Amino acid sequence: MSEIPVTQRIVAILWPSFITAGIATILFFTAFDPDVLFIDYDISRLGAYSIGFFIFWLFGVVTCMATCYFLRPCQSVNKPDELA
Amino acid sequence: MTASSQKPTSDVADDIEQSLYAKREKIYPRQVHGVFAALRTTGVMALLGMYYIIPWLQWDGHQMVLFDLPARKFYILGMVFWPQDFFYLALLLIVAALSLFFFTALAGRLWCGFACPQTVWTEAFLWIERKIEGTRPQQIKLDKAPWTFNKYKIKLTKHFIWIVFSLFTGLTFVGYFSPIQQLAASSINFSLGPWELFWIIFYGFATYGNAGWLREQVCMYMCPYARFQSAMIDSDTLIISYDAARGDTCGPRKKGVDPKEKGLGDCIDCTICVQVCPTGIDIRDGLQYQCIGCAACIDACDDVMDKMDYAKGLIRYTTENMLHGKKEHFLRPRIFVYAVILVAITAGTFYAIFTRMPLALDVIRDRNTLFRETNEGLIENVYILKVMNMDQKQHDYSLSVSGIEGATMYMDRVDIEVEPGEVIEVPVRVQVDPDALVRRSSEVLFNLIATDVDNLYVTEDARFIGPVPSR
Repeated sequence: MSEIPVTQRIVAILWPSFITAGIATILFFTAFDPDVLFIDYDISRLGAYSIGFFIFWLFGVVTCMATCYFLRPCQSVNKPDELA
Repeated sequence: MTASSQKPTSDVADDIEQSLYAKREKIYPRQVHGVFAALRTTGVMALLGMYYIIPWLQWDGHQMVLFDLPARKFYILGMVFWPQDFFYLALLLIVAALSLFFFTALAGRLWCGFACPQTVWTEAFLWIERKIEGTRPQQIKLDKAPWTFNKYKIKLTKHFIWIVFSLFTGLTFVGYFSPIQQLAASSINFSLGPWELFWIIFYGFATYGNAGWLREQVCMYMCPYARFQSAMIDSDTLIISYDAARGDTCGPRKKGVDPKEKGLGDCIDCTICVQVCPTGIDIRDGLQYQCIGCAACIDACDDVMDKMDYAKGLIRYTTENMLHGKKEHFLRPRIFVYAVILVAITAGTFYAIFTRMPLALDVIRDRNTLFRETNEGLIENVYILKVMNMDQKQHDYSLSVSGIEGATMYMDRVDIEVEPGEVIEVPVRVQVDPDALVRRSSEVLFNLIATDVDNLYVTEDARFIGPVPSR
């Protein structure tokens, strides 16, 4: 793991989740109109799309982080210093 | 990362910062002139020009290209698309993917080197950088120099211009989704909506970060295409390659000296091909996934070959087969298959778009009562019809019902007149003689036909529920 540059690690979490969040936002709001969905809230469609996108992104980030976390070599759990 | 997690936080931050800088050395691509550089500049100018100009163009009183998210309507030229037309977007994405396959199989990463937004904006940022900081050696010298007032001035100017350019890019981007003339007006008098402002800054920041700072790292770490391109490339694909048989052994020599006497090939080891490379690779090491196919090394090397009075093309577009002295097969089955599928789907997509019926009908059965028996002994079902006029003009429609013998339809309104881009709800009662029903649930068809133009109609089916037939 340690030979992977930090930029690549950050990107591996932020970027795939960004893409899937974009797709999820398009699909979700094609099916559901925020004006109908959030009729009780005072929020513009653009605001709903934006918040929706960031919630999807957040979910993706959590998923990617969990994937990266579980991909760490198992031995590093026992001897964290050796893989530094 | 594992070990550093046990250190105090400030150390961790230091480590991350250090490894960030230690891992990546900044690449200073040397400016290059030549055929491919001219092609790329043309591509950059054309694409950036289109990007910045298109949102300002008008068509029939509205913005020519506008993905009006708040109104959920998408204007492209004279056409209006709705979320219901999502299907066409999917088709266009398939066409885009197939084009990528086709061009990659034919000539490698043409997209990356000449058309990818990452390349296009990086070129623009590099141009600004060269105007302010100077040539490659001047840039390297500046970065090594201590921080003087002059260095601060140069760096601040560069970043200021980059940021202004990025924010304008962000404004243009948001202008594809929200009318750009109002957007520009409200950004001048500081009355932008919070979400518009947010996305202008967000997109501007992404442009500044990707084209100013990350650059080739986007291609190396973020681009999926770079990783799977090999699946589309074969031994007959045009790739940019160094001719090792001709060039090796590399070594310096004086002009006019016969390289064979010194045991050298045509490569003079000037490393200019490395200096011009925007991803910092040495093309002489063979085909690498970092190579974006920009052909800067071809231009650079041809220049050097000219100066040495050697033949051009030590680095050139070639195929693996040609490099090994075999015959080239540009027109191979793979190309034909991709081309046929691409043409067929493209034609189908455009046919579907141009013959699209700009009218939609949704039928919703009243869920409160299954059916009602009238005084005359007929069975009645109630529906709500949503008529959506997706055309640019107002239309009158007439509605009829079919599918069940003797079905009659009643509605409260006389005519169905829908403004362009509007949706109206039409409550409808359908009455049927129970003798005409052979099942509990029968299919009933609603036919909506425009009365003011030809060939504008839609038929939608629904269920008609009645009692269990006595027969």
